[in-house]
Amino acid sequence: MPLLEIGLMHYLILAAAVFSCGVFVMSTKRNAIGILIGIELVLNAVNINFVAFDRYQVVGGCDGQISAVFVIVIAAAEAAVAVAICMNLYKNLNTIDVDRGDSLHG
Amino acid sequence: MAEISNYEIYLMAGVLIPLASFFILMLFGPRIGKPVAGWLTVLAMASSCALATITLVGWHADVNTPPDSITGRTVAQQLSIDASHNQFHWADIGSVPIKIGVKLDSLTVIMFFMVTFIATWIFIFSVGYMSGHSDEVDGKSKYHRFFCYLSLFGFSMLGLVISSNLLFLFMLWELVGLCSYLLIGFYFDKKFASNAAMKAFITNRVGDFGFIFGLMMVFFFLKTFDLDQAAIEFGRQFASSTGVFDAGFAINLFGWHVSGAMLATMMGIGLFCGAMGKSAQFPLQVWLPDAMAGPTPVSALIHAATMVAAGVYLVARIFRLLTPEAQFFIAVIGCITLTAMALIAMVQTDIKKCLAYSTLSQLGYMIFGMGVGAWTAALFHLMLHAFFKAMLFLGSGQVIEGCHHEQDMRKMGGLMKKMPMTGITFLVGVLAISGFGIPLMNVGLGGYFSKDEILAVAWDRAYMWHEPIEHHGDSGHGDAGGHGDSGGYADASGHADLGGYGEIDSHGSVMPSDASASSFMLVSDQHGSTGHDTGHADSGHADSGHDDSGHGDSLHGEAGHASGSHALGSVESLKASIPPLPKWMFWLALITAYVTPFYMMRCWWMTFMGKPRDQHVYDHAHESPLMWVPLVALAISTFGASYFVFRPMIADAAGAATDATLVLGLDGVAESAETASGALIHVHEAHHWLAYGVGGSWVIAFFVAFLIYRNGLATGAKLKAAFGPLATLLEHKYYFDELYDFLLVRGCRLAAAVCRAFDTYVIDLFANLSASIVERFAVFSGRGVDAHVVDGVFNGLAAASMDVSDLVRSPQTGRIRNYVLFAAAAAVVVVMVMLYFDGSDYPVVRHASTIGASSAGIQ
Repeated sequence: MPLLEIGLMHYLILAAAVFSCGVFVMSTKRNAIGILIGIELVLNAVNINFVAFDRYQVVGGCDGQISAVFVIVIAAAEAAVAVAICMNLYKNLNTIDVDRGDSLHG
Repeated sequence: MAEISNYEIYLMAGVLIPLASFFILMLFGPRIGKPVAGWLTVLAMASSCALATITLVGWHADVNTPPDSITGRTVAQQLSIDASHNQFHWADIGSVPIKIGVKLDSLTVIMFFMVTFIATWIFIFSVGYMSGHSDEVDGKSKYHRFFCYLSLFGFSMLGLVISSNLLFLFMLWELVGLCSYLLIGFYFDKKFASNAAMKAFITNRVGDFGFIFGLMMVFFFLKTFDLDQAAIEFGRQFASSTGVFDAGFAINLFGWHVSGAMLATMMGIGLFCGAMGKSAQFPLQVWLPDAMAGPTPVSALIHAATMVAAGVYLVARIFRLLTPEAQFFIAVIGCITLTAMALIAMVQTDIKKCLAYSTLSQLGYMIFGMGVGAWTAALFHLMLHAFFKAMLFLGSGQVIEGCHHEQDMRKMGGLMKKMPMTGITFLVGVLAISGFGIPLMNVGLGGYFSKDEILAVAWDRAYMWHEPIEHHGDSGHGDAGGHGDSGGYADASGHADLGGYGEIDSHGSVMPSDASASSFMLVSDQHGSTGHDTGHADSGHADSGHDDSGHGDSLHGEAGHASGSHALGSVESLKASIPPLPKWMFWLALITAYVTPFYMMRCWWMTFMGKPRDQHVYDHAHESPLMWVPLVALAISTFGASYFVFRPMIADAAGAATDATLVLGLDGVAESAETASGALIHVHEAHHWLAYGVGGSWVIAFFVAFLIYRNGLATGAKLKAAFGPLATLLEHKYYFDELYDFLLVRGCRLAAAVCRAFDTYVIDLFANLSASIVERFAVFSGRGVDAHVVDGVFNGLAAASMDVSDLVRSPQTGRIRNYVLFAAAAAVVVVMVMLYFDGSDYPVVRHASTIGASSAGIQ
């Protein structure tokens, strides 16, 4: 198999890279919006996987694409909720630094 | 179930009306108030009395109907039998059904009438009595409560009378006892009243213990509580020598061999013990005189007329369950009571106590009558006694009320002028109880008819018992041994014209148990009068026998008895099996007949005649109409009851109620035809003789009393001094209270002291010992085990879980970045592990590789 030919593996590698970036962003950013961006990256990595598997699956159908659409919708809803949480966080703490919101820690 | 007759409905309604009055007064009494509460009670009892009167009139007519041609029964007999089938199933004890119903016979009807009639007049008297007495107890008006209790008493007494079932009879028996307790202790804030109430109640419990014992045996041996069924079963077992009469039947009681016949006797005696308590027979007589602490109407109603007579009524009802030995026991108890109590009455100075002892003595006569087989006479005496003794008590209540609550006769005297109605009615009572009568004429009052008949039967039992019948055949007996034909009074031609009296010596109708009853005959006498077969047609009015044969110079109704040889034989063998009465018992009863008029005359004379001894009391004396009207009513009814309806009605009931297999009813024509024959052969002969012997007793005794008390109390005091110790013995009532105090109260206290010592020195020792052991153990287990072991375990557990939770909470930093790292790291670890295992065991990985392969294939 020629190396430059684009196949499933390339998509998976791309998704893994995006996923890793997302996780990295989530774990390093202290800004709540930054974390939200990280989550979006993770979700989109999953979407890439869904679409890729859908494209390369043996039996026909569009389960993966539908799932991807679902994820996008859920991500939108999640973003709305997350932004609302961020606003409340700001209201209460005058900051969106998530490390400050640790009043429930053990 | 046969159709319920009107009589049963009337009787049941008559019982329930006072109960309704009781509930109304109990719930709304204080709001109804004085005097409406009293009149309500009177109204209730008067309604019952009206029903009783309707019943009595109807029943009396039914008794005298000619017998049905097919069944051979009169209407009354048929109704009575139907009523015994009208039973309501109430409960089961094991497999034995308990049924309740109305015992419908002439005795019930007449007793019901007597109770309602007397109660009505006494309730009226009570209204007057309570208006003159304090109705306050503990500072609160208890007016309604008095009448509430009276209503309850009315209900329970009437229920007792109509009960066909020994168990129900017992329940109502306890209820009348309760009412007695409540009413004696009506003024319960007075110590003597509440003590008297307790004494009455406790003494009755002693008797009732025997009653319960007897009931237990009835249930055990006869498997029923129904009066008729029990009697039939008893007779059947005796006849066939089965059950309790089985020769092999015996139990071992604490190593004592008790045969079945002995148990049957114990059953009768046990039931009689209940009567001993209620009717205050020796040795349980102590409560009745003390019960006079209750209000006077209560004394009159409960402790003279009705409740104390319930004992006699009970014996009458269980007559068929008695054995000759049990009957003899009853006779002995009655004989002792009648004699001993009459003697005490001679020295009493309290007017109510004097009457109380006379009541005891008369109750003794009734019980004695039952004991010697004078069933009819005893009940007749009960009825008459109820009337005149209620009247005497009400009279004494009037005197006490009028004399400013003075009960001591020594302070009275000369009250006749102030209280003429009371004095006259009291005298009527005195005459009635004394057996006032004129021999050779059919004139008499109360005891002249009933008490003398008891004596006649006793004489027969004592002297003529085993004489063969043939010797007396010519003087046979045509009738009940009622006075009518008993030689002396009879002067026989009087029968026909004395209509009312004629009824008295009628046979009453005989209750035939079967067709052989028609062999009941009157046979001709030596004058050649034709005997005729009375059969059933004549059984209602045996004086037809006198019409034929009782005239002329013959002193007796010349009617002998003849009956089927079978019946005669069984009676003869039964008679032979019963021993004669010891002669001393007859003589004691006879002598007491002389004592009775003496103390009654003494009582009357001291109260009403002579000179006033206490001016204060005399000045205060007065009477009120509400109180003397009942007196007059009762005096008139005493006359009426002596002559009309009562005697024949009881004699009618006797047929079925004494149809005994072991003991004999001797008077009345009482007995059913089989047993009747010959039973009373001698009685009227005795009556003839007694007419002179006892008939004049009142003259002699009155005269003696008059001699002693005509000039005040001095002679009496001198006599008392002359008798010395005897008088003291009587005044102290034979020291019975002291004896019981010594034996029972002190005995109880001694037993209590012993128990206390035992408690202190033995029980306490053990208790303290065990307490200290427990204490030590508690210290050990508390301070040692609990504090160190148990607490240690739990504290250790708590500390350990604290440590664990500290450990667990340390990763919970609260920083999202950390959580994300953990999650990512965990995911990495999971993936690494999956890859390490080569993916072959993990379907996800395998699937991925398959995809990879296929995708390659696609391209």
